[in-house]
Amino acid sequence: MHMADALLNPAVGGVMCAVSAGAIGYSVAKMKGDKQAEKKLPLMAVAGAFVFAAQMINFTIPGTGSSGHIGGGILLSGLLGGPAALLTLSVVLMIQCLFFADGGLLALGCNIFNMGVIPCLFIYPLLFKAIFGKKTGMGRLMAASALSVVVGLQLGAFGVVLETTASGITELPFGTFVLLMQPIHLAIGLVEGIVTGGILTFVWKSRPELLDSVQESAAGVPVKKTVAILAVAALLVAGGLSLAASGLPDGLEWAMEKTAGTAELEAEGPVMDAAADIQEQTALMADYAAPVDSEAASTSIAGVVGSVMTFVLAGIVGTVIVVVKKKRVKA
Amino acid sequence: MLTVEHLSLTYEDGTVGLENVSFSLTQGETCALIGANGAGKTSLMMALVGIADFRGRIVAGGVESEKQNLPLLRQRVGLVFQNPDDQLFMPTIFQDVAFGLQNMGLPDDEVRRRTEGTLERLGILHLKDRSSLRLSGGEKRMAALATVLAMEPEVVLLDEPTAFLDPKARRRLIGVLKGLEQTMLVATHDLPFALEVCKRSIVLTEGRAFADGLSEELLFDEEKMDQGGVEAIRRYG
Amino acid sequence: MGNIRQNTAALYTLEQLAEGDTAIHGLHPMAKLLGTLFYMVMLISFPRYRLGMLAPFVFYPVLMLSLGEIPFKLVGKRVLVALPFCLFAGLSNALLDRSPMVFVGGVGFSGGVISCLSILLKTLLCVSVVLVLVAVTPMRALTASLRRLHVPGVFVSLFEMTYRYVGCLMEEVSSMSAAYALRGKPRLEMRHMGAFAGQLLLRSYDRAERIYHAMKCRGFGGSMIGETAGKMSAGDWFFLLAVSLSSALFRFVDIPALLGGVLC
Repeated sequence: MHMADALLNPAVGGVMCAVSAGAIGYSVAKMKGDKQAEKKLPLMAVAGAFVFAAQMINFTIPGTGSSGHIGGGILLSGLLGGPAALLTLSVVLMIQCLFFADGGLLALGCNIFNMGVIPCLFIYPLLFKAIFGKKTGMGRLMAASALSVVVGLQLGAFGVVLETTASGITELPFGTFVLLMQPIHLAIGLVEGIVTGGILTFVWKSRPELLDSVQESAAGVPVKKTVAILAVAALLVAGGLSLAASGLPDGLEWAMEKTAGTAELEAEGPVMDAAADIQEQTALMADYAAPVDSEAASTSIAGVVGSVMTFVLAGIVGTVIVVVKKKRVKA
Repeated sequence: MLTVEHLSLTYEDGTVGLENVSFSLTQGETCALIGANGAGKTSLMMALVGIADFRGRIVAGGVESEKQNLPLLRQRVGLVFQNPDDQLFMPTIFQDVAFGLQNMGLPDDEVRRRTEGTLERLGILHLKDRSSLRLSGGEKRMAALATVLAMEPEVVLLDEPTAFLDPKARRRLIGVLKGLEQTMLVATHDLPFALEVCKRSIVLTEGRAFADGLSEELLFDEEKMDQGGVEAIRRYG
Repeated sequence: MGNIRQNTAALYTLEQLAEGDTAIHGLHPMAKLLGTLFYMVMLISFPRYRLGMLAPFVFYPVLMLSLGEIPFKLVGKRVLVALPFCLFAGLSNALLDRSPMVFVGGVGFSGGVISCLSILLKTLLCVSVVLVLVAVTPMRALTASLRRLHVPGVFVSLFEMTYRYVGCLMEEVSSMSAAYALRGKPRLEMRHMGAFAGQLLLRSYDRAERIYHAMKCRGFGGSMIGETAGKMSAGDWFFLLAVSLSSALFRFVDIPALLGGVLC
């Protein structure tokens, strides 16, 4: 589920960062209104660290021999409430990205949206609390957890497909990609959902007051308001993504390239100014029937030789610095 | 300096934590709090800093323990937690020690002066920009002590200070604690440590102050200690 | 995210590296953060077939790694984490897009192969520069610059505290799993997971409570005071400009073709 930087284009990354930043801002504002907020800070930090550590526990899935691990969004929401869970999960994703290379830095916006905003701000208040809120019970808690995780993961996986496709770096047709992602995440979701339910019921049995929905069961959920927010957010994301997709030639030309295969060749002199370069790329993209002539072939040989030279040069520079530094330490 | 009168404490589930405990410490007095697991040592410490609810009366450094006095009380009475990891929650040791001073509203240069002074005194100034993630048990203990001493409390409470320490670190801690002028109350299982650091000892049994006396007498009194549920120090030879 | 012990070790290694005292470590955290972001935006803005122009981007991570005294082998370990999905995307490109695009010495390469290679190279570079960032910048400096960038204080404090306790809880998980494994099954069974993780969670709650008490004892009143980064010096600005301008140059001017053109 963690998206990497290399499959993203800056426009999609930027839009999703803005959307997620907005959601984080909203959650921070919500937290400020919370009277328990002061006590919540250490709790959120430790719960975040818990999710982080618990995700490293691999367990055997019965009958398959493969291993699974827990997800975080619904679990944290169940413990902390939606807004606090989103902040906590965002922090966990930041740590995973920075210190463990799990998920990209520019892709943080996407990852926070897919794995945090969707489960914490939408699925939890709308679905989870509808099942396990005013009416409680062990079965209800299990069902609420499992269903919420499954639905959240499906939407999240769909988010990955949308964002990746809009970035136009992969060749995978949208339909195939959806067919690949959704069923895999249905299976993962079932496992994660059952485990999440297991943990939440354990907590409910031993210390029920710790569950968020138990603490504020009297408050009730403003469904209309949440639906309105959901609609606005969906519009923003869809609008932003399509803008990002259409704003770049790569996304726009995607269908065309897939059918005909595009030839992008360096036919002109290599030194160009920025504007001309972008224009040229746009032109070349559309010109999918560009012939492969000898001149183009020779430039590409030059390109390959140049690239190899560049790598060798970088390697030499790196080695020289390391060697010089080591000698200086010894001296 | 520290007066505890008729202190009782009941947990949420109804079990009795402390029952009618009274004692008082004079300025600069050092006292060990001895007792088996579950005797109520940590509960007493928590009550003394106003975290656990209690019945009775506590006066520390001239401050009565009442809700509106708690911030002041916590400046006068510092508690070093059993597990330093609970007490060191900031990104660096410096920030951890500065945390309490900043909350007291001191100006930045005063915070810096006091923080660095305290770290220097405990011999861990070189750790100031380190995070507690990679410190040894002994270093963490010193850092946790620094977070309390920097606030210059009049009474220092220590909960199991020798837990997680190797003999060398334990020895260093003893040296540091002996050099302190503050009134000290130390909850510990480590009787030789209590003997070295504290003049006086109180044995706590099932929430009650069972025995109270000079460490060099009480800690060797096999009969009394046995009744209190603790093993006395054996005299050899 | 497989082995807990390995991950804990990785965290400690980064922590240790970030305390180094090279010139790179001494740079202002904001200059390094913004420089890295700009570099990455330039890098990933290349369309999928622009393999030829990626090569010069290798200079920044190589220079930073060697000047910052960061072992190159760390990059390899991290790439492995990011690789699976990128490899999947790259290979599917290679399979789906087979029309020949570039001829080198009579051998034709399909567009898919080109885009696959470009994805892999981008992955390597992106992972390297994020590694460089955290390996030469201590956590406190990073969060100080987040505060400077007006990221909400609660969020930054939460980040710092979570990071602080990640290490503690990983060690706890590690010893709990070891205790589980020693009593039988090498790997946790799914039906035990609820109780296992639930147990850890309840312990974590108690810990959170103790931390809160420790904060209260030192006068915590609801708002955290954190370090905010100071101003950037002329040298820091120079670094930021150099990184940004060179990335922009590499993005818009085809240096390898120029270089190759001279040689061929």
